[in-house]
Amino acid sequence: MIKGSPSFQPFSEKPISLIGENGEWTGSFDLTLDDGELESFYRDLVAARVLDERLVRLQRMGKISFVAPSSGHEGPQVAVARSVRKGRDWLYPYYRDTALVMALGVPVAETVGQMMATRADPNKGRQMPAHAGSKELNVFAVASPIASHIAPAVGTAISMKLQGKGDVVVTTFGEGATSEGDFHAAINFAGAQGAPIVFVCQNNRYAISVGYNRQTAAENIAAKARAYGMPGYTVDGMDPLACYYVIREAVERAREGVGPALVEANVYRYGPHSPADDDTRYRPAEEVESWRKRDPLIRMRRFLEKRGLWDDDQEKKMREEIDEEQRKAVQQAEASGKVPREWMFDDVYSEVPEHLAEQRDSLG
Amino acid sequence: MTMQTIVQTIARTLDQEMSQDERVVVMGEDVGKRGGVFLATENLFDKYGPDRVIDTPLSEAAIIGAAVGMAVHGMRPVAEIQFADYVYPGFDQLVSQAAKLRYRSGGQFSAPMVVRMPAGGGVGGGHHHSQNPESHFVHTAGLKVVYPSTPIDTRGLLRTAIRDEDPVVFMEPKRLYRAVKEEIPEDDDTLIPLGQARVRREGDDVVLVSYGGSMGETLKAADELERQDVSAHVIDLRSLMPWDRSTVLEAVARVGRVVLVSEAPRSLGFMSEVSATITEQVLDSLLAPPMRVTGFDIPYPFAYDREYLPGPNRILAAVQQVLDY
Ligand SMILES: Cc1ncc(C[n+]2csc(CCOP(=O)(O)OP(=O)(O)O)c2C)c(N)n1
Repeated sequence: MIKGSPSFQPFSEKPISLIGENGEWTGSFDLTLDDGELESFYRDLVAARVLDERLVRLQRMGKISFVAPSSGHEGPQVAVARSVRKGRDWLYPYYRDTALVMALGVPVAETVGQMMATRADPNKGRQMPAHAGSKELNVFAVASPIASHIAPAVGTAISMKLQGKGDVVVTTFGEGATSEGDFHAAINFAGAQGAPIVFVCQNNRYAISVGYNRQTAAENIAAKARAYGMPGYTVDGMDPLACYYVIREAVERAREGVGPALVEANVYRYGPHSPADDDTRYRPAEEVESWRKRDPLIRMRRFLEKRGLWDDDQEKKMREEIDEEQRKAVQQAEASGKVPREWMFDDVYSEVPEHLAEQRDSLG
Repeated sequence: MTMQTIVQTIARTLDQEMSQDERVVVMGEDVGKRGGVFLATENLFDKYGPDRVIDTPLSEAAIIGAAVGMAVHGMRPVAEIQFADYVYPGFDQLVSQAAKLRYRSGGQFSAPMVVRMPAGGGVGGGHHHSQNPESHFVHTAGLKVVYPSTPIDTRGLLRTAIRDEDPVVFMEPKRLYRAVKEEIPEDDDTLIPLGQARVRREGDDVVLVSYGGSMGETLKAADELERQDVSAHVIDLRSLMPWDRSTVLEAVARVGRVVLVSEAPRSLGFMSEVSATITEQVLDSLLAPPMRVTGFDIPYPFAYDREYLPGPNRILAAVQQVLDY
């Protein structure tokens, strides 16, 4: 448990929030993060937004073929990265988790290399863009079939339980994923095993164009946790600190052996689902605007300003630094060069079998 | 030395692997207290307890998916799918997660795991207890596929499969589970490499290639041929991915006539691959076209179990055709 923070109530009627829309602290406990931690938290949020906007530009320029915009999702993603023990705990993210992997420490050059299928990609250019994976940081390689990563996440958590070292898994997904059989099969197994795992749903109200009330009749996603015998929390996903405190508490409880939890963060996706999507066909501009007013970056910045920790100069300086870092990272990813063609036949099996060696040689 | 059936061999082999390597866990529906519906995990629960012999919820997606996550985290799960026919709810986990993990992570992660499943017909089970889905797995790059037909092979191959660095689909011919017995030395620790066929019988007139449940009928056909003075060379493939092309091609090149027997549906069945490879590689040695004797392209029919399976008579008819060609 985090010292000084009270336990949050599962199944609350209203989403849990700790920062008001004007940046005031509304929590019933004292903040436990120091000024430096708050500033670096904010920096992660901004860096994620800047990277997302950069990736969208790179896609428009034709340098990468696909992005899954993450702007609006920064709160829970950065919160997850800051709630785990890096290199010990495991993450099972999905394709929209650019902010999560960045905040966790996956180098931007690696992320961009993955998107461009260059040698900077530790995954060797095997997957479409927006599919992270880092052995070093225990980030399981993202797969496209929705919800298919959730059962493997539970398996890792069961393995952790058997090893008894106090490690934890966090897996993330959208609300659309909670309609898949794999989600139910996996969360049910986790409940039955008391596995140390936290399920974090980033509920952005849409699965491509399908709205929440066409996805499920449940009042919220957290309510589904009842059926699996674990607490379910609904959090204001545009409130980064609420995301952090709730997820952190769930992670620490799992670490202590209390068992799994489901956290639903209500976020919004500002961009289209992907470059192939025209979101104006299914959602009104006013809706997007109203969520922009609740932007997690603005909220966090107001919060810092109210505490006298932040001003325009600092903002400008930080943004310049981030921009410069990312510009270099993109260059580095591009400069590393395309992955070689022969690599195509590696890693299908632990060794290249005869028939694949023949097929490789037939390329000439 | 003890006489063992295939299913007894499985339980013994799992026991030995579990005692030698504590990363090995067994998981599936009813594998624990009950010891598996076919008793392939008998006595393991008493010996190793619920953490290493895990009675899972009734969900193939959870079983196979969780096995991936355990394997990637350093364990060696051996998952049981109660019947091969029930792999489909977990199929996405096999195909999208297990098979492709190594590849999609550029070799960073891998899922060394075994998915065991009793397969095949001839047990009065109707079409949801009799199928042979091996083609789906062979067609999925990243999976290895094994399908033995004797206790000794089951033992040596299961051991290798558990120690293999890749996900292995281990199919077991359930109608032979108790029908075949072999003497197995107590301390036998042979490892049979995946991808190596076994010549079950030497012969010069026709090559019969088969695997899994159909080996029974194929050997019966060979016995009958011997009575008719036709000498059959019988190859048991044992592994389908990778498969032993050279043993098959050498025999076919030498003999010139081949009949391929599998009870899986005909179209795009594994024997289509074997046939295509033979015609590509040793066409000049062939004295007759390779003939397939297979199940039909229909769901497995309950009432016509024996007609569906390629029995000795259909095999003999095909042999006659290649001899007369
Ligand atoms: C099994 C499967 N079905 C369909 C798709 C196509 N698809 C990709 S993303 C998506 C919507 C997912 O929505 P959600 O889970 O809410 O996540 P979000 O993209 O909104 O973050 C769909 C239908 C897929 N990738 N996998």
